[in-house]
Amino acid sequence: MKPLTLAGILLCTLCQALMVGGQLLLKRSIATGEGRPARRGTIRNFIAGIACLTLWFFIWLGLLSQWDISKLYPFEGLNPAIMAIAAWLLLKEKMPVSAWFGLVLVCVGIAIVAGS
Amino acid sequence: MPRRLLGVFLNPYAQLAVGSILVTVSELLMKKGASDLSAGSVGWLGVGALRSWWTWAGIVTYVLSFISWVYVLRYVPLGIAFALISVVHVLIPLGARIFLHEQISPRRWAGIALVVCGLLLVLRPAVKAEEKL
Repeated sequence: MKPLTLAGILLCTLCQALMVGGQLLLKRSIATGEGRPARRGTIRNFIAGIACLTLWFFIWLGLLSQWDISKLYPFEGLNPAIMAIAAWLLLKEKMPVSAWFGLVLVCVGIAIVAGS
Repeated sequence: MPRRLLGVFLNPYAQLAVGSILVTVSELLMKKGASDLSAGSVGWLGVGALRSWWTWAGIVTYVLSFISWVYVLRYVPLGIAFALISVVHVLIPLGARIFLHEQISPRRWAGIALVVCGLLLVLRPAVKAEEKL
């Protein structure tokens, strides 16, 4: 299998942005408790979230047809860190310190997988 | 289904496990679908892969995993849920090795082991919070 090209890396980055944005929109739309937006906003967020994830899906499918699954997946691996930071900043989610430490281990693990 | 079993099934963390298995199966099916045709003909926007039944099986599994994920997201914080779904980084290489015969180098095994350790650390406070309920 060929190594990742610049176009492939850019598409992977676009995939990441779509994934993070889509998940944030989804979480905002269906979260229970405080901070729950008005109903109209809820439906709009849900649809926008699904739209992001649908676009993500087709680009991901295209990437899968060109490269090995084990070569692509590590890219998605940075997502947990980006997602946790985004959820902390934008959704005011709190995570215990040990969980942040665990998250770093997950990302380092995935980086090692990516480099191998 | 007995009530207790249903209770376990509807537990958000159990659903997270169900979801990650579904994602793994779905990714393997889609990989099979995408490489069903000779590489390149699928194009960068992988619509061509839709000609394969493997892809459609992957899509159905993916939709199921998505329903499960929306359920999880309702109850579990996004940061925690997304960190835990990283278990697919362990399940997918294992699945790719077993079913698609892709190779895993010793270095990759080490990375997978680190991911598992990290997941356990993320999971620990979540399990504690669950026990308090």
